[in-house]
Amino acid sequence: MPVNFRVPIFDVKNLNFSVRGQSILSNISLEIFNGEYIAIIGPNGGGKTTLARMLLGLEKPTSGTVRIFGKKLGDFKLWDKIGFVPQRASLVDANFPATVLDIVNMGRTSKRGIFSSMSKEDKDAVQDAMMKMDILDLKNKMVGTLSGGQRQRVMIARALASKPEILILDEPNTGVDMLSQKNFYTLLAKLNTDEKITILFITHDIGVIADDIGRLFTINQKAIICNNPKEALSCEEMSQLYGIDAHLIHNHKHEH
Amino acid sequence: MLEIFQYDFMQRAFLAGMIIAVLASVSGTFIVLKRYSMIGETLAHSALVGVAVGLVGGYNPLWMAVIVAVTSAWLIEYLRSSFALYSDAVLAILLSGSLAVAVVIVSLGGAFNNSLFSYLFGSILSVSSEDVITILIFGTVALALLLAFSKELYFIAYDEEVAQTSGIKVKLLNYLLVTVVAIIIALSIRVVGSLLIGALMVIPTVAALQYRVGFLQTTLISLFFALFSVACGMMLSFYFSLPSGATIVLSVLVLFIISLVKNKE
Repeated sequence: MPVNFRVPIFDVKNLNFSVRGQSILSNISLEIFNGEYIAIIGPNGGGKTTLARMLLGLEKPTSGTVRIFGKKLGDFKLWDKIGFVPQRASLVDANFPATVLDIVNMGRTSKRGIFSSMSKEDKDAVQDAMMKMDILDLKNKMVGTLSGGQRQRVMIARALASKPEILILDEPNTGVDMLSQKNFYTLLAKLNTDEKITILFITHDIGVIADDIGRLFTINQKAIICNNPKEALSCEEMSQLYGIDAHLIHNHKHEH
Repeated sequence: MLEIFQYDFMQRAFLAGMIIAVLASVSGTFIVLKRYSMIGETLAHSALVGVAVGLVGGYNPLWMAVIVAVTSAWLIEYLRSSFALYSDAVLAILLSGSLAVAVVIVSLGGAFNNSLFSYLFGSILSVSSEDVITILIFGTVALALLLAFSKELYFIAYDEEVAQTSGIKVKLLNYLLVTVVAIIIALSIRVVGSLLIGALMVIPTVAALQYRVGFLQTTLISLFFALFSVACGMMLSFYFSLPSGATIVLSVLVLFIISLVKNKE
């Protein structure tokens, strides 16, 4: 299929969002295509999480349109094609009665009918997701007893269990140590290259994933789309403009 | 020991009590995990308005309790999801407001008597055959709904937004849950009483949570605790002529304390 006729996974046009007269996002237009690895960066309060919430239908734009797989937000039904890992993913309530398996099984919920138990397909998808995230041995552990890094992998496994075409991750590194973060970025890059999963990653710490990402969106009310993230990162002005602590920690994916 | 089953009223109370134990503990698991423990208490007070209308107006108090509790549940969910009000404040307002309305109705209607007392604290003597049939019919429907959507409700309790983004109809299911809880509460006030049913919903689950096991095991432990405390409470009520709601709640409270101490790290 010619590239020009590709239907983007997300097609955002002239998106505006304001709360009580205060503009949060202004005139945002962007497209996200199948197979891309995109990072969204920006200062806290700059609207990057709001943008993600709009892509997920959790927030309605004041004006403008969001199309998912070519459909208007209201008409889109195939939500299992989108895996979402929220900001608080690694900060699970320690008392919540859930084993790792309970959590990953949740990823199959919308695919199962009323009263129905897990089909072979469901179980295979859950097993596969846990294998990819290397958490099979944690299967029966209570999720509240895991480390931040382990929880993060569980949350991604839950998102992967629905066999999504795109993963949206909103700062999932909150509460995760540096070593786990490094492994995590390697894993994301692998999901993108090997599993062909489109990745949309929201972070304030772009230096860590700079080597892997294809495009970079910086969001501070307005969007600047940058097709060469490494150049953008070396630009001190951008760092100042967005108030980002642009320290570079290279994560060489071919290191090992 | 089993002489108590020679009495018809005890057979009826036991049957009703066991159904209520199942319903209260299963629905209570979702309520507690959603951090919505006080809704039981609030709906029980709303149900009391229905009881008051029933007693004064000569309608079936149980049916009236169901109607008022369900309406109140919808109002709570509407206020919670549509306005930027604190959930617990909404519950507190409705709780005291309902109680005030109920007291005014029974006072004006001159129905402040033993009959009302039994609705407040539960009475094993007051469970009629008609009540058992009503509890059985509504209870089966309520349980079927909870089981049908248990995986969705569990997901919502874990993370409402993530559940929504994976295509689960969160709003609809939240309404379904509060409706089912309202029905269960209204059905329970005969046996447990409106002032104490909230405890039977919350305490077995909180006790079960102390064992730090997965969802299914937590639900089963909670179910066992609820069944055990209802049975135990009814026997205490029978032998010591105490209101059944109080003896049931005290029984489950003992189980909670044991669970808490046993699992203390």
